[in-house]
Amino acid sequence: MKKLHLLGFVLLASFFTTSSFTMVEERLISNTILIKIFSHTVAEDIEAQNFKSIGTIDTQTGEVVFSVPMQSFEFEKALMQKHFNNNKFLDTKQFPKAKLVGKITNLSAIHFDKDGTYPAQITGELTMKDKTNTIREKGSINVKGKNIFVDSKFFVVLAEYGIAFTSGKPSTNINKSIDINVHAEFKQN
Amino acid sequence: MKKIARKVWVISAIILLVITAFLVFQFQMPHRDVVSLEADYSISANELVDEYLLDPKKANQKYLDAEGDSKILSVNGKVSKFEKDLAGNIVLLLKQENSKAGIQCTFTKKTNKHTKDIKIGDLVQIKGVIRSGASYDADLQMYEDVILEKCDIKQSLEF
Repeated sequence: MKKLHLLGFVLLASFFTTSSFTMVEERLISNTILIKIFSHTVAEDIEAQNFKSIGTIDTQTGEVVFSVPMQSFEFEKALMQKHFNNNKFLDTKQFPKAKLVGKITNLSAIHFDKDGTYPAQITGELTMKDKTNTIREKGSINVKGKNIFVDSKFFVVLAEYGIAFTSGKPSTNINKSIDINVHAEFKQN
Repeated sequence: MKKIARKVWVISAIILLVITAFLVFQFQMPHRDVVSLEADYSISANELVDEYLLDPKKANQKYLDAEGDSKILSVNGKVSKFEKDLAGNIVLLLKQENSKAGIQCTFTKKTNKHTKDIKIGDLVQIKGVIRSGASYDADLQMYEDVILEKCDIKQSLEF
C-alpha cells in the first residue's frame, strides 16, 4: 500500500514538473525586434526605427506582449528626434515605454509546429503616453522550423493618445495618423 | 534719405540671412556624437539596476532627457551575454549572476569591432547613452534590462 502511495506521489510530482516546464517553453521571448514608424505629408516623409523592444508570445494561449523603449526610436534628422521625444509630443522622459498587451484571436488556425505563413488577428490594448486604447489588428505569423517570424502593419491616430502639435512646423509636417510596422523573430525550444 | 534706406535694406538682409542660417542649422543639426563625449556619470551595472528598481521615477528624472539627449553613462560590469540585433549591431549584456536585471549595451557600426576580444565573464567598462531603465513588467512576467545605445568599450578591467 505504501509503495502504491509512493508511486502515486512520484507520478503526480512528475506530471506537475513536466507541466511547469512546458508552460515555460510555450512562452517565447525575443529582443530581435524591429519597429518602424512612418508619417507621410505633402511637406515631408518622416521615418524612424527602433531595434530595442522586447516581446513575448505564448503559443498555447495566444497572448502577446511588446514593450518599446521610446527613446530608442532613431530618426534621420536630430531635430525630428527632439520633437518626437519632447513633452509636446510623446514626452518620453515621463513615459519612457509604450506597451502592447494582446491576444491572437484565431489561434486555432495557427500551427506553430508546422511550417507555413498564417494570417493572424490580434486584439489588445496599446498604451502610449499613459493613454490606453483597444486595437484590433491583422498580421502574419511565419513558422520556419524552430523560427517564428511575426509581422504586422497598422496605424495609430495620434490624437487618441493625447499627441498633437497645435502650431509650428511639426503641426503641418507630421501626419495625424502614423504607420507602424512590427517585425519580431522568436525561436522555439 | 537714400543712405538711410540702403542701411535699412542691408540690416534687413543680414537679419534675414542670420535667421535663415539658424533655421537651416536647426533642421540639418547632426545627431550627438555619444562616443566622443565625456560620460555624465560613472557607475557599476548593479548600482544602476538597483537605483532603477528602488525608485524608477527618480532615476528617470536623473538620467533621461526631455528631448531624448539622455545622460551618457560609463558602466562597469561583467559580460554575461553576446548577441546581435536586427541592425547587425553587437549587444553585450552586463549582469551579475545574482542580479534581477542587467545593462543591455548596443554598439554601433563603427564600434562593433571593439568588442572582438571581449569574452563572456570579462569585466569591462562601457560608455553609452541611456534610453530606458530596469523594471519588473507584470505582463512580460520578467525584469527588463537598462538599455544603453551608441556604446563603445571604455576599457577592459582587470581585478
